[in-house]
Amino acid sequence: MAQAQTPSAIAAPRSPYARRKTTRGNFELYSWVFMRASGVVLLVLVFGHLFVNLMVGEGVHAIDFAFVGGKWSSPFWQVWDLLMLWLAMFHGTNGVRTVVNDYAQRDSTRGVLKSLLYLASAIVVILGTLVIFTFNPCPPGAPAELLPSICFPN
Amino acid sequence: MQTHQYDVVIVGAGGAGMRAALEASGEARTAVISKLYPTRSHTGAAQGGMAAALANVEEDNWEWHTFDTVKGGDYLVDQDAAEILAKEAIDSVLDLEKMGLPFNRTPEGRIDQRRFGGHTREHGQAAVRRACYAADRTGHMILQTLYQNCVKQNVEFYNEFYVLDLLTDHDLTTEQIEDGAEVNATGVVAYDLASGEIHVFQAKAIIFATGGAGKIFKTTSNAHTLTGDGMALAYRRGLPLEDMEFFQFHPTGLAGLGILLSEAARGEGGILRNSEGERFMERYAPTIKDLAPRDIVARSMANEVREGRGAGPNKDYVLLDLTHLEPAHIDAKLPDITEFARTYLGIEPYTEPVPVYPTAHYAMGGVPTNIQGEVLRDSHNVVKGLYAAGEVACVSVHGSNRLGTNSLLDINVFGKRAGRSAAAYAKAAGPHRDLPENPTVRVEAQLAEMRDRPDGERVADVRKALQETMDANAQVFRTGDSLNEALATIRELQKRYRNVSVQDKGKLFNTDLLEAIELGFLLDIAEVTVVAAINRKESRGGHYREDYPDRDDSNYMLHTMAYRRPTSASDAADGHVAGYFDHVEDFGDYKVVLGSKPVTQTRYEPMERKY
Amino acid sequence: MTAVLENPATESPKPEVGAVPSFEVTLRIRRYNPESEHGEESTWDEFTVTAHGTDRVLDALHMIKWEQDGSLTFRRSCAHGVCGSDAMRINGRNRLACKTLLKDVNPDKPITVEPIKGLPVVKDLVVDMEPFFASYREIMPFLITSGNEPTRERLQSAEDRERFDDTTKCILCAACTSSCPVFWTDGQYFGPAAIVNAHRFIFDSRDEGATQRLEILNDKEGVWRCRTTFNCTEACPRGIEVTKAIQEVKRAMITRAF
Repeated sequence: MAQAQTPSAIAAPRSPYARRKTTRGNFELYSWVFMRASGVVLLVLVFGHLFVNLMVGEGVHAIDFAFVGGKWSSPFWQVWDLLMLWLAMFHGTNGVRTVVNDYAQRDSTRGVLKSLLYLASAIVVILGTLVIFTFNPCPPGAPAELLPSICFPN
Repeated sequence: MQTHQYDVVIVGAGGAGMRAALEASGEARTAVISKLYPTRSHTGAAQGGMAAALANVEEDNWEWHTFDTVKGGDYLVDQDAAEILAKEAIDSVLDLEKMGLPFNRTPEGRIDQRRFGGHTREHGQAAVRRACYAADRTGHMILQTLYQNCVKQNVEFYNEFYVLDLLTDHDLTTEQIEDGAEVNATGVVAYDLASGEIHVFQAKAIIFATGGAGKIFKTTSNAHTLTGDGMALAYRRGLPLEDMEFFQFHPTGLAGLGILLSEAARGEGGILRNSEGERFMERYAPTIKDLAPRDIVARSMANEVREGRGAGPNKDYVLLDLTHLEPAHIDAKLPDITEFARTYLGIEPYTEPVPVYPTAHYAMGGVPTNIQGEVLRDSHNVVKGLYAAGEVACVSVHGSNRLGTNSLLDINVFGKRAGRSAAAYAKAAGPHRDLPENPTVRVEAQLAEMRDRPDGERVADVRKALQETMDANAQVFRTGDSLNEALATIRELQKRYRNVSVQDKGKLFNTDLLEAIELGFLLDIAEVTVVAAINRKESRGGHYREDYPDRDDSNYMLHTMAYRRPTSASDAADGHVAGYFDHVEDFGDYKVVLGSKPVTQTRYEPMERKY
Repeated sequence: MTAVLENPATESPKPEVGAVPSFEVTLRIRRYNPESEHGEESTWDEFTVTAHGTDRVLDALHMIKWEQDGSLTFRRSCAHGVCGSDAMRINGRNRLACKTLLKDVNPDKPITVEPIKGLPVVKDLVVDMEPFFASYREIMPFLITSGNEPTRERLQSAEDRERFDDTTKCILCAACTSSCPVFWTDGQYFGPAAIVNAHRFIFDSRDEGATQRLEILNDKEGVWRCRTTFNCTEACPRGIEVTKAIQEVKRAMITRAF
């Protein structure tokens, strides 16, 4: 049926009006639980991160390349930051996914938006993970004056 | 035009229609045609309960229930039917429970029961707890449960289809039909509201379950859609209507609005008071007081108002007092009706008495049927393949006054019976009978005439005049003069009706057109009601004649059977043993012939009715 | 008989005995009739009627239909809030026209009346209810039991009966479902009403079909699409705590899964 494009137009009857497909399975359930659980864990991770970076010792003034490099040389902070990255990205991506589901009116719009979203998330997650694990504060062959003090153990 | 073929077609999707559908759809190919979505039916507005002598909370048995029903109906009840009603009540309630109906429970987990008007122990000794209930929304729960089970059974519904004609193989209005000759119902013609298309349903068996006709009155608890369609269609096709003069006025309608406040309010301890604060029912029914049958309470209330003891600025209502009840008790047992008082009148029932006045509630009369639900075409011959159940039918289990909670019972017991008989008949019957040559011609002509009439009377004006005259002249108190005045007005309105026009000329969802058609039904029903009331020169149950205040068993212990016939038909030759009344009201264009049907008496001799 | 009431609480000067106070009210109604000259376009029409103190929006609609414009189309039946025919959007909120007193929706300004949102409009205030009932039918809204039927009633304690009392009140008017922003988007969400009716059976101690119903509502379009905006609870003319019921169904699913 034709749909007039004026603001006062009544939406055209959406026929056939059957539920398009049934997707039984626990995905949405787990996703719902994940959002709540990851939210709680992220609270701890994020505030722990902020506390360590901003409050402990000299606080914000201590942050520099050496500080970050130093932290990532410890497996504890690698895991912490990795968790923070993954949970924040999955939490955020899933949140935006539900927003897209709620507000996109057509399946095609929904498909495009979600593809972009997943692509962007995947890039960020992969790059971030790579950085955390492959980060070397003292790349060989770099000019010594550019390297932090930790590269020169006594 | 579309044609459909079914074994059983049920017209109406209220309690009786859906109960019949549950029986029939498993056995035969069944369709339910309804002018509303099923869950909109007015069964859902019933509040108080459904009577059955389960004896869950105190001693009770079906024989006492039968007696109460017979006495409540002022002995105009067919006692064999009343006995079936009371006996099968128990299984009907249990059926509903098994279908999932959430009844209120006793501490032991059984179905709880409460007191209701006219239901007594040991033939009138004291009020008994017989009404099975779910708060004050028993009807809602019944309607929902029946619909849920129809969903479960995959019953086919045609929603928002108006049945506008009944097809039979003989024209009962004009043909002379021999006693014992076979007349068959062959189908119905329906109008699809959404598209304006006409559909013909050919069926081996048809069940009418179209409900009542409360909209002939102005103050009524009935829905806007209760316009007596089924009764009027049967009547126009030459079938009789039985006991139409008996209309029940429910004592406690919200004053001025007519919205129903259940008798359960009094069953739970509510008291009626006049302007002086007096519990006036003590004077009218010393034993069971506020729980007397509805006709008696309604009349007592109207009498209080008439004698100047009404409350309010116009002294035109009495008060229903719940203030002595615990608010928690009210919330648990009567949540909906107290909300009605708050929403519509701004009255807080915890602390203030609620203004109430009788409201037109239930047609005891209707299309005559036997105990199998088969429709009668005179005092004893049936129309093959035609059944009726619920308020549209007159079995007659309610006689001249229905007891509260017996209507939810009626739809379940006789809905089930009609459904079973119809399915059995359809299975045994041969192929579909031929439809008349042009089955839709009458309906199409009627619709076209109404739609094409350029400018005329407004439907609303005619309807308002009808409802006002019925309220003024044919309500709780009637006299020969008032009834004749009502009849004169109705005759005049019938003439005006021929000139009504509608503004909406479209095909899609044309409710304007359907309201006009419904007005025609209302006029016919009001007319036959008043003619039958004029003829009955006695007072019995819901029919009270001030000029004849006593019951007259020697002359009127008979059911009225009203037939509509062309003026040309010879009066005596109606074939239906015109019988005792033999009264003819000739209107020039057609006439109403009043015959009679004997009342079936088994156990109980008529006695004076005292409570 | 007139509807004049003694109400000691009102401060306003008592009108003369027998006189019914009346006021003028304007309704701004969204019209749509594909057969009219506007075609698929919907338009706003304004009507002014004289109303009385206890009149409801439905009474005003009737006055318009019966006295001014017979083509105005809406559904109604019982007229006191138990049949669920006349859910509509009145001043932007979903309500039953027969349960909304004119004096309670600020009759000084025009009252806007629109069809409920999210369902295809058929004509004026009438929408196609079929999708709504289709969702209802999908959740198996009937008692499911196994084994032999008892001869008498099934026993159920008063507490067990009370557990699902709230959701038995539903009249299927669609006020909740059509107030839900998630439903508005594409109408695929089962909607609050279907979940409420599933709740009615899931928490009925006599029922044995909870697993199947939970499975159905575990769908992508099931309970997990609820964003707890509470529009449904606010819209329900029967006062059902709809959002709470939905959360209870969610909780039942989580307890089942873990």
